Amino acid sequence: MRRYVAARLGQAAVLLLGVSVIGFALMHLAPGGPLALYTLNPTVTAQDIERVKHLFGLDQPVYVQYVKWVYGFLSGHWGYSFFGGRSVAPIVLERIPATLELMGSSLLLALAMGVAIGIWAAVRRNTLVDYGTATVAMLALSLPTFWFGLLAIYVFAQVLGWLPAGGIETTGNGSLIDRLTHLLLPMLVLALVLTAQWSRYTRSAMIDILTQDYIRTARAKGLGPVRVLVGHGLRAALVPLVTLAGLQLPLLVGGALVTETVFSWPGMGLLFISALDNRDYPVLMAILMVGALFVVLGNLAADIAVALIDPRIRLSHV
Amino acid sequence: MLRERLTIGRRALLAGTAAATVLGHLRAAGARTPGQLIIGMNEEAVNFNPLLYVNTGVETSVEFIVFDAPWKLDPTGSFVPNLATEIPTQANGGISADGKTWTIKLRKDVLWHDGTPFTAADMIFTLDTLLNPKVVVRSRNGHEHVETYKAVDDYTVLIKLKDNFAPYLVSWQKTSVIPKHVLASVPDINTADFNTNPIGTGPFRFKERVAGSYISFTPNEKYHGGKPKLNLLVQKYIADQQTMYAQYQTGEIDIYDINGIPPVLFAKAKQIPQSKTLLSPSPFVEFIYFNCAKPQFQEKVVRQAIYKAVDKKGWIDAVWYGVPVPTLSYLPPNHWAYNKNLEDPGYDPKQAAAMLDAAGWTVGADGVRAKNGVRLAFTMSTTAGNKPREQAQQLVQQNLKKINIEMTIKNMPGSVVWGDYTIKGEYDTLMVAWDPLLYPDPDYTDRIHSKLIPAKGGSGSNYVQYENPEIDDLCAKGVAAVDQAERKKIYDRIQEILLEDVPFAPIFSWQAIMAAHDWVSGYTVNPYTSTNSWNTGDWSVT
Repeated sequence: MRRYVAARLGQAAVLLLGVSVIGFALMHLAPGGPLALYTLNPTVTAQDIERVKHLFGLDQPVYVQYVKWVYGFLSGHWGYSFFGGRSVAPIVLERIPATLELMGSSLLLALAMGVAIGIWAAVRRNTLVDYGTATVAMLALSLPTFWFGLLAIYVFAQVLGWLPAGGIETTGNGSLIDRLTHLLLPMLVLALVLTAQWSRYTRSAMIDILTQDYIRTARAKGLGPVRVLVGHGLRAALVPLVTLAGLQLPLLVGGALVTETVFSWPGMGLLFISALDNRDYPVLMAILMVGALFVVLGNLAADIAVALIDPRIRLSHV
Repeated sequence: MLRERLTIGRRALLAGTAAATVLGHLRAAGARTPGQLIIGMNEEAVNFNPLLYVNTGVETSVEFIVFDAPWKLDPTGSFVPNLATEIPTQANGGISADGKTWTIKLRKDVLWHDGTPFTAADMIFTLDTLLNPKVVVRSRNGHEHVETYKAVDDYTVLIKLKDNFAPYLVSWQKTSVIPKHVLASVPDINTADFNTNPIGTGPFRFKERVAGSYISFTPNEKYHGGKPKLNLLVQKYIADQQTMYAQYQTGEIDIYDINGIPPVLFAKAKQIPQSKTLLSPSPFVEFIYFNCAKPQFQEKVVRQAIYKAVDKKGWIDAVWYGVPVPTLSYLPPNHWAYNKNLEDPGYDPKQAAAMLDAAGWTVGADGVRAKNGVRLAFTMSTTAGNKPREQAQQLVQQNLKKINIEMTIKNMPGSVVWGDYTIKGEYDTLMVAWDPLLYPDPDYTDRIHSKLIPAKGGSGSNYVQYENPEIDDLCAKGVAAVDQAERKKIYDRIQEILLEDVPFAPIFSWQAIMAAHDWVSGYTVNPYTSTNSWNTGDWSVT
């Protein structure tokens, strides 16, 4: 086990290096760059732009810039934002709590609701319940978030006036209740799409299980439906679900681009959008690396968890 | 990152409704905090160093709240002394007879937010920083015309210019002073803590920034312009325009500022109770920019015909709901130097077609005009996703199709269009809004002088690659003249020539739709500054 984890971490390091090379190259090869914002500023002349380009080191060859960046990143210095001159690490890390709050709460809610709905749909397979939940899930997955987010704001903030229209707290208030009222709409909007995913995965995993002989045996022994479904059924269906959870783990720090923008939620998604608009390379690279790290960790955690749940899977053989 | 696609689910909606009912009552209990004003903006300020920030408007707002310049511009366009005791003129001896020596006298009662007195040393330090090649200042604001400068005493600064440069008055209106005692010992000003934790002399002190949410300011009790009336001023960042509109409507923000309410919502915004909308004229003029170096646009008759064939009024009315003001010049019509005698070429597709026929641009077999093998076909670019601009492009496309000109829309992300694509002259035409370099000074040298074409190695912003010796000459005369009446004649002529040559086609001057709730007083739109936060010390709430 220990050897397995060490080997996986070694692979992860190589993977992250590859991600950084590709990310850095794509960013610099794409047309345009961080100086466009300067061009749009009427007080800035072409002379100023040349001067700034040199000061940022953007006039150097890309591989020189990359080597400098890698060296800095590994020695714990992630560079400075082109816009604001702040050190990149705090710019990125200070967004994690907000994103964690939003994504964590909606993932938990989605997990609870999605698994419950999935089991229900699997048990009532090919009935109105199954078709109904499938239809709602398909709708949830296919309609755009920004539209639903704006609709929620329109109904609950503008028309009914019950909930605030975005933001993480009332400026100058910030009590727990206040923060919860701000969390509610974006959390529900996000939880909806995640619930739809979870319910579909749970349903198909459970359908496989429910036709197995041991379920019939359990029923025949006279076990109640809850023990059959949860104790025997869900437990066996956990493997694909844990894998899905591992895949969604990066969302906890990656945030949600659209929902965070619509609800002005000051998380990683919002930061990513503005850094992308401005081509703030140092910030983009940092977000990319943090995101990639969590993808790697999420997958690793899922593999380990699956092995712990299912004794038939041996990590040494993976 | 999650790329979500979502819709409404009845279950979630019901659950949400139930929870909202409970929480809604709790929220209604909390009223507005007395003395606290929240101004909403849909861009985020991140750099508060007035010399370094890039994003004019939202970051200028912080500059005006925290810092001061020697003088400021009021809404009538008059200069008002701020850190200086008077506006230098030749009459009061502040500007020498040859226009090259400037004496700035400073107030003696100004304190930095940490209590240190403000002196001429800070002015000198500000100039040192602006001209320091290692500091990433966005622009030198015209201070590159400075030859020498020194502090005569603690409250007098003497500046000698290399040449006679009338817009220099605006240079100091645009240059906020930074504190020497805080920054002189900082090894690298580009990454100084000061840039996110500024200390100024302005009406408010910087309190805190919560990334992605807001920036707050507390009043500077000892402000030399009088104690501000608010207890707390908040500049709140709301990324989405619709959400910002919702927050304004619910009173979560008191003022709707930067970039304004989308014109499509103008009629609705006027109906919001306890609120008034304000049209905020801006120095920005919307243009069709021609790349005069491209074969299609080398003859001015082509540019003239396009200008004539475009339905300018239809553009303003259909796309912008009639909010912007038509202009025939690079200046807004309310500017003192605007040439009121410019003759409007109007909207006349027939005449435009006739002009092209006469010039030898005849319609080919493919239905598109051509001359000597050059097809009258081109692309037009602007920032992708800018809906009103995309609509306007379609309108222009249809207008031009009628006179057999083929225009293709080629929009790209802002970071692409406004980079080398613009600067190095790779574009055919652009749809863009710009204002003069040192607005409200009417000097436009930077955008029209033949030596300032970056695509040809020049250092300015003549992206249209326009070359006209008479214009070069007039530009030089314009900045050297001091008398306003004399300058007016020069700029009248410049505008006349530009309208004849059409290197860029001016369409309208922008007006943003701002809104303020009735409990706010003192908020006054200012056509001469890039943000309306120019007098926050006078703002109050009831």
